[in-house]
Amino acid sequence: MDIIVCVKQIPDPEIPPSKFKLDIESKKVVPPEGIPPVMNPYDEQAVELALRLKDKYGGKITVLTLGSEATSSIAKHALAMGADEGIVITNKAFEDSDSFSKAYILSQAIKKVGDYDLVLCGRQAADWDEGLVGSIIAENLGLPLVTLAEAVDVANGKLKVKRVILDGYQVFTVPIPAVVTVSNEVGRPRLPSGWGIISASQKQIPVWSVDDIEADSSKTGASAARRKLVKLFIPERERKCEIIERETTAEASIELVDTLIKAGAI
Amino acid sequence: MKQIFDAIVVGAGPAGCACSFTMAKAGLKTLLVERGKFPGAKNMWGGVFYGPTLNQLFPSFWQEAPVERYIKRHRLSLLTKDASLSAEFTAKKFGKVPYNGFSLFRAKFDRWFAAKAEQAGAILASGLQADDLLWDGNRVAGIKAGGDELPSSAVIACDGVNSFLSEKAGLRDKLSPRDMKQGVKEVIHLPRNLIELRFNLSGEEGIAWEFIGSFTRGIPGGAFIYTNKESLSIGVVVQLSTLAENKIEANDLLEEFKQHSEVATYLAGGKLLEYSAHLIPVAGSAMMPALYTDGFLVAGDAAAFTLTTGLTLEGANFAIASGLAAAETVIRSKQIGDFSQKSLSYYPELLKKSFVLKDLKTFKKAPHFLENPRIYSLYPEIACDLAEKIFTNDGKPRRKIWKLLRKSMERKISFWQVFRDLKKIKKAL
Repeated sequence: MDIIVCVKQIPDPEIPPSKFKLDIESKKVVPPEGIPPVMNPYDEQAVELALRLKDKYGGKITVLTLGSEATSSIAKHALAMGADEGIVITNKAFEDSDSFSKAYILSQAIKKVGDYDLVLCGRQAADWDEGLVGSIIAENLGLPLVTLAEAVDVANGKLKVKRVILDGYQVFTVPIPAVVTVSNEVGRPRLPSGWGIISASQKQIPVWSVDDIEADSSKTGASAARRKLVKLFIPERERKCEIIERETTAEASIELVDTLIKAGAI
Repeated sequence: MKQIFDAIVVGAGPAGCACSFTMAKAGLKTLLVERGKFPGAKNMWGGVFYGPTLNQLFPSFWQEAPVERYIKRHRLSLLTKDASLSAEFTAKKFGKVPYNGFSLFRAKFDRWFAAKAEQAGAILASGLQADDLLWDGNRVAGIKAGGDELPSSAVIACDGVNSFLSEKAGLRDKLSPRDMKQGVKEVIHLPRNLIELRFNLSGEEGIAWEFIGSFTRGIPGGAFIYTNKESLSIGVVVQLSTLAENKIEANDLLEEFKQHSEVATYLAGGKLLEYSAHLIPVAGSAMMPALYTDGFLVAGDAAAFTLTTGLTLEGANFAIASGLAAAETVIRSKQIGDFSQKSLSYYPELLKKSFVLKDLKTFKKAPHFLENPRIYSLYPEIACDLAEKIFTNDGKPRRKIWKLLRKSMERKISFWQVFRDLKKIKKAL
């Protein structure tokens, strides 16, 4: 079974809060200096699910990711886990694309890869938590879609997908090819093996540009986005400690109540 | 895909990167294994890096390597609870190429250095931990990592102070807390212009400021402040065993140090960016493991190549130099097709010729001498007390400095004891 997995790079969620910075002006997250991005953990689980299918049925796993050439380390991580090929799609024109544009770019890249039986995405990216791209890819490619999958199997030439719902499961069958978004119930992704890391480190990651995937530039970038981010901010939180000392407890209590009323707390 | 490497280097720090770079450049099939997600990921080091050895490898490296500031000023302060006495040295020479030292962050620097090794042809495997050695009889024949066996003609352990591999190779016992210092460090953000104003620096100049005194409560050790581009590295380094015996936490000492009136003014308004802790091997030649066995070499911190003179604590340049010597040894072994213990004995020969073992021999007695608690409390006290007597104008007739010194020492220490300590200084330093 040939599988395409779409993976995203996100800022390392393990960085200390002090390294997380917003640029209020440009409404963007400032990449933490000196700490490389990592693969979105949900996408890592999508790679894991793909590998389980490969272990059982054989085939080829291709990993697609949007970003810069530096993003190749994300693709290489998937290769180290056992994926066969990684492709980075990059272009200045893609910058500031919204979920629709990103899904469009990935759909074009999927078309270029050509042969596939299944497209896997993580359920959402752990940076903005929108969870849109997988669904829009299915729409773009006119393919059946199952979201929040815990397991995928093959039965009678169809895909059997176990979908997580509150307190239970749904099991669907869908024709091949299909798009499935993968939930965290898949469990821990495998650790890369020694030889896996070594061979991934030596592999070249092809970089595709807008021309390689015949993308219509009017559908990508900031200008194609139909919604506009007007504000991005972390609410200011102030902590203050004031000790109220009065002769008697009663006096202190009254003062406390007054202070709380003044502060608008009660 | 499976292959046999000429050399596997474990640990992509300065020793490992220098070693891999040199071997790969000479055409050896070299694998550089790093357990962190990327080289430098596991590193908290933010100190002064002395450049000459690296400058030989990459002339004018500071133009491309991620350095913070070049060290123009060196300052030493003796602190008591409410006084301080400082000496500063600066030279025009330190402000010109090839600069003497740099402040830098190893998290960035190691990535740059490892990329150099990769460009030279070494294979960098990040996120891979060496779990064990691979043996062929009594010969080290590779490593086990990530569930796989990775064979090689030589393994070079550059895996840091707790070198697990040299222990596995039977070259050393577990380390004793007496041989180690614990370092705790904070990185504090301060705007560039404030750093330059407060520390009297301009442009890319930096200061390395060392402290000894009351804040370590008599525990052998000291504190430091180094200036980075837009932050300060501030920390204390204290002997681990005494710390444990007295049930004192190193971070309490750091807090005490930060609150000292002389120090606090320099930090005011700063924002804490990160906190970290690390062990530093300080016993010098006394704790050095055997440096090689069949198919196996140890370099850098793993070999305890750290120099403590009391005023400076150097490791990175020793690491690079030992990494280079290890590389040269393996290249030679490859040429003659012999990786046996006998062939690898070329390694200590090279180290003896370089500054690595020479410096460590010169300062062989320093680590023991520096355990003397008087250095950390009594002498700073006497010095500050004397200075106070000299500078105080209390309206009474002045006395000679010699008499003041006698007064400062009264009931604290005898001249005979000071004389004995001075004799020890002469021997050790």
